[in-house]
This record gives sequence, C-alpha cells and structure tokens, in this order.
Amino acid sequence: MFLEFFYTLKAKGLDVSMTEWLTLMEALDKGLIGSDFSNFYYISRMILVKSESDYDKYDMAFMEFFHDIQSENELSEELRKWLDKGDDMEFDKQNQELYSFNQQRNADEVKRMFRERISEQNSEHNGGNHWIGTSGGSAFGHHGRNVGGIRVGEQGGMQSAFQVMGERKYQDFRNDRVLNMRQYQVAFRRLRQYSSRLDVPKTELDIDKTIEKTCDNGGYLQLEFDRPRKNTVKLLLLFDCGGTMIPFMELCNELFQAVHKANHFKDVKTYYFHNCIYSKVYKTAECEVGDWVDLDYLFKHYDKDYKVIIVGDAQMAPEELLDPNGNYRGPNDGHSGYEWCQLLNSKYKKCVWMNPRYHKELTRMHWMESEDKLSKLFHMYTLSVDGLKEAITYLLKNK
Amino acid sequence: MEAKFTGSKDYVASEELMAAVDVAVALQKPLLIKGEPGTGKTMLAEAISQSMDKELLIWNIKSTTKAQDGLYVYDTIQRLYDSQFGEEGVDDIAHYIKLGKLGEAFRSEKQVILLIDEIDKADLEFPNDLLWELDKMEFYIHETKETIKANERPIVIITSNAEKELPDAFLRRCIFHYITFPDREQMTEIIHAHFENLEENVLKNALDTFYWIRSVRDVRKKPSTSELIDWIRALLISGIDSEHLREKLPFLGVLLKKDEDLEAVNKAKLY
Repeated sequence: MFLEFFYTLKAKGLDVSMTEWLTLMEALDKGLIGSDFSNFYYISRMILVKSESDYDKYDMAFMEFFHDIQSENELSEELRKWLDKGDDMEFDKQNQELYSFNQQRNADEVKRMFRERISEQNSEHNGGNHWIGTSGGSAFGHHGRNVGGIRVGEQGGMQSAFQVMGERKYQDFRNDRVLNMRQYQVAFRRLRQYSSRLDVPKTELDIDKTIEKTCDNGGYLQLEFDRPRKNTVKLLLLFDCGGTMIPFMELCNELFQAVHKANHFKDVKTYYFHNCIYSKVYKTAECEVGDWVDLDYLFKHYDKDYKVIIVGDAQMAPEELLDPNGNYRGPNDGHSGYEWCQLLNSKYKKCVWMNPRYHKELTRMHWMESEDKLSKLFHMYTLSVDGLKEAITYLLKNK
Repeated sequence: MEAKFTGSKDYVASEELMAAVDVAVALQKPLLIKGEPGTGKTMLAEAISQSMDKELLIWNIKSTTKAQDGLYVYDTIQRLYDSQFGEEGVDDIAHYIKLGKLGEAFRSEKQVILLIDEIDKADLEFPNDLLWELDKMEFYIHETKETIKANERPIVIITSNAEKELPDAFLRRCIFHYITFPDREQMTEIIHAHFENLEENVLKNALDTFYWIRSVRDVRKKPSTSELIDWIRALLISGIDSEHLREKLPFLGVLLKKDEDLEAVNKAKLY
C-alpha cells in the first residue's frame, strides 16, 4: 500500500528518490511516526519533499491517495453524528432559512458532492456557498451556517492533516505559478550559476595552489592558474509596452527590478518597444515618439554575445507584424516588424521571448497568427518560474 | 532518542518543527531549515542547544567559504615563513593543521550541535563537497595522513534563505522543514515568550498594525518577527500610548528599512 503512495507522488511530478523513500521506511521502523495520521503527513513530507514549491503537489498526492480513507471512515461517521444533532449547532438563524434547502440532502448525496467538490476545488474558500471552506453556506467546511453538511478540517488527529491539505496553503509556492519578484531574482541567479562554468582559458593566478605547489616543489616557485570566476553574462532586455501588456505591467516591472537588483551581470541594457520590434526601440517605458534609438545602434554597440530577453505577449494584428508599413507609431525603414525580428535574431547568438500569455499547448487559432510566427522565430517561453528557468538553460547552453 | 526538543523559553516552535527536529536526530540526518528572513531559522539551533543542553558550534557561511574551510586549514604560509627563520616545529606538519568548525564538531568528546548557517550563500558546489563528510561523519587530512572521525555524531542544522538552489544529491540526504510565517496566534505566543507581562491591549494594537503593514501591497521588504520584537521593545521603552499606533506609526524605521516602503505605508495610512 505504501509503495503505491510512492508512485502516486511520482505521478504528481514529485522527484522522490529511493534514498528518501528508504529513509521514510526507517522512520516508520523506528516508530517515529506512531499511529498519528497527521504525524505521518508531516514526517513523510519532511523526508520526501525538499522544496516548499513542491508542498502543494505533495498535498494533492496525499489527498488523492488517502482521501478514501478519510471520507469512508471518519467523515461519514462524523456526518451521521452531525445530521442527527443539528439542534446543538451554532448557526445564524437568519441564514438558516435561506439555506434550509441544504438540510434536506441525504447523507449519501452530500458525501457524493463532497467527493466531487474535493476533486474540483483548488483553493481555499471562506464565506461562499459552494466550495469547501469556513464561515460559508456551503454543505462542506466548518464554522458555516449549513447544518446538513460535512465538516472538513478543524482540530483533532487525522483531520488536521486534511485541513492543511484542504487549505492548500502552499499553493503560492508552486513553480508553475506566475512569478513574483523574489522568485525572479532567484531564477536570475541561475544565469550566474552556469556562467562560472564557462569554458574560458585559465588566466587567473591561483595563490593557494601556487603556494602549495611551491612548497611541494621544495621552495622553487611553481605558478598555478585557474579560470576567472567572474560572470560574463551580458543582457539586452526588450520590453513590450503596448496596450495588451497593461495587465502584465506589474509583472514586467518586477522582472525589470529583479534583473537590476541582481548585480552579478557584466552588463544590462534595457529598451522598450510597442507591440512589435521595428527599426527603432524606445529608451523609456512610456514609448514616446522621438525618444528612441535605432535598432542598428544596438547592433553596433552591443556585440553578438549579449543575451537577448524579449518580454512581450506577441499579440498584434498580422499586418502589424508582416506589413512593411505595419508600424503605426513610427518609421519602418523599409522592413516589416517580422524582418526586424529576424535581423535581431540573426545578430545575437541567444535570443529568447518571454510571453506572459503564451498559448503553447493550444491549437493554433486565427488570432494567434502573430504569436505563432514569432514563436517559430524565437525560442518562446511562458513568463513563469519554470519558463524562465527553461529560457535561462537555453541561454547558457553552448552552441 | 531520549532528549526531545520542545522549544525553549525564548523560542516558540510549531509542532511540525519539533517533530522535524526529533526525526532528524533519530535518523541521524542533517536538518535543513528554510524560510523567510526573520522567521527564526538561526535561533532554532540555539534553542535546540539550550533545551538539549548540548554545546552549539556555529559555522557561518559566506560567499567565499569553501567546504575545506570547515574541515581543516593547512597554514602553508605560516610554515613557509617559519621555515625561513628556522623556527621550531617546522618539520611537524600537524603543527600547521587547524581544524575548521566541522572538524571541531567531530573532535568534540560530547555530542554537539553544529549549525551551518546560510549554506546558500556559498558557491553552488559547496553542499556537494560536504556530502561524504556529513554522511560518514569523517574526513581525511592528507598532510598528516590522519582520519578525523566523529566521536559522537553531531546534530547538524543547516539554514538556507533559498538564494540558490541546493543540489539534489545534497537535498536527498536532509530532512527538510519550511518555516511558514507565523499566524497571529503563533505570533502572540512568540511575543509572550519575549516579553513577560506585556499588556494585552499593547500587544493587540501592535499586532494589528504589524499585520496591516505586512498586508500593504507596495511594501517590498515585509517586516518579520525579529523586527516586530524590536519594535515592541522600542514602544515599551518610549512608553508611547498604544491607542493610536495605527495612525501615528511611531518608530516605523524599526519595522521598515527602505524609503519606498516607508512612503508606501504612509500613503496607505491615508486611506
């Protein structure tokens, strides 16, 4: 039975290793867990899960694997008890009338709904009438007005573990959630991580090794060199400030801040564009006409080793991308936006496009034509922790 | 294990955390603690040391720290220097071997608690370099051909601010605990552990204001437990009436360290 739990965890995308599993078995053997179910929840989590970003996945797996145990034993008993003595419960008299229809549900029906809902619900809900949560009129949850429902969570042994899971309070830490500032920063640190392993000649005098070798050499000087550990990553950031990006302004601002706070890059240059990249890019996010530099200027001044990160949603009318006169805010200088993008892509060795609303998995629709074209031209990633990691991995790959 | 960790007078540990400490001790694995800055990661080791009555060794990790520093350092320069002046003992390498914190912990006669503080500050390969030593609790000194083996397996506590990802191989060997930010109830308990006889209304007003500041959206660096404690201390010393904390926000600089954040809170206060 337990081994199945191992595979459930794996299926939920948790990278649980054999070593960790055996450690859990050892803990069970040593009686550290005892017979307390919530203890088991915590201890198996602390042994098997090594990142708070995976807590949510663990909760889901745990819930899936063990929720049968819960609803069939403990809860149905609880339920019966509660249905029997509805009089003792505290509830809001006014609301009781309002929600009285709920009380007519029978136990089986409520239980079935509970199961359905537990599989549908994906966040904490307090105060509503439908989802499982607190202080609401729903048939499920606690501190609610509904007398004929299932109480989920609250104190006591086994249930407290389910309360924690039900709340899914670690949801915020999930990797695939859209990023916040701190997560951006951490993600960008990766851009340094790999760069120290860059294949550069050994040019830095390694004093420790030199001394050691000289000593070994009986006092005759023997010089030892090492690879410089400086970060060589240079970044060129291009932000889309078009109208469709407004919902993501804060997100972009955070990304921008994160890059500039990370002082480990050799150089960071930031420019802005409106909808699509044309012959000029703007110096400020306001994208005021005239306050711009030529794309050629970028090509001349920033060499091909700059890593280009374009942030934009790639939402534009096909003619804005493909027509040589598609730029309605400035000059095109003879090329369409797409051609300018091609030029950019061919000049720089590494370009990525971070898209906050990337429709990667969806079937291509007519209105996605521009995104479709650009995602074929650039390596396009979703603007999330995972997406950024993938993008950074690509940026650091040799070749 | 006979000695159970139950928090200490000054340190309020959640049940989960106490269980984590017990499991780590029983399974003889390092305990990795992660959490927001100011949630008491470092204090935990002190609390464990107090409650179990064991000596605490702290190895503070910096960006330049190498794994070797924790084991031993062979002071070659001193030896070279001494040899030029014909000092005594130059022929004895052991004379120039200085044990690091990990070495000290192994050498100790009694079981000690070793805190490896902020492991993520070091180089990325740092944790990997310590795998063997933490697993086997021994290391080899090449210069003297001596093996240092732990007399009593130390209890190893490792803290991390999640600045860098730690390597998988390292993580697999640890017991992991993430300290979530304390909720109001826990916070009340923590404050009580630090201040005896704190008036109820002062506490209530201070906590109201504190959680309100944390909820202001534009605040970048949210104040943490340690800042709250300093703030309450400042309030007590100055004897300020706690009635209008929220409006007056005295000593805001104790809670917030950034100009933008101070501005954001002052702005939010108006609404």
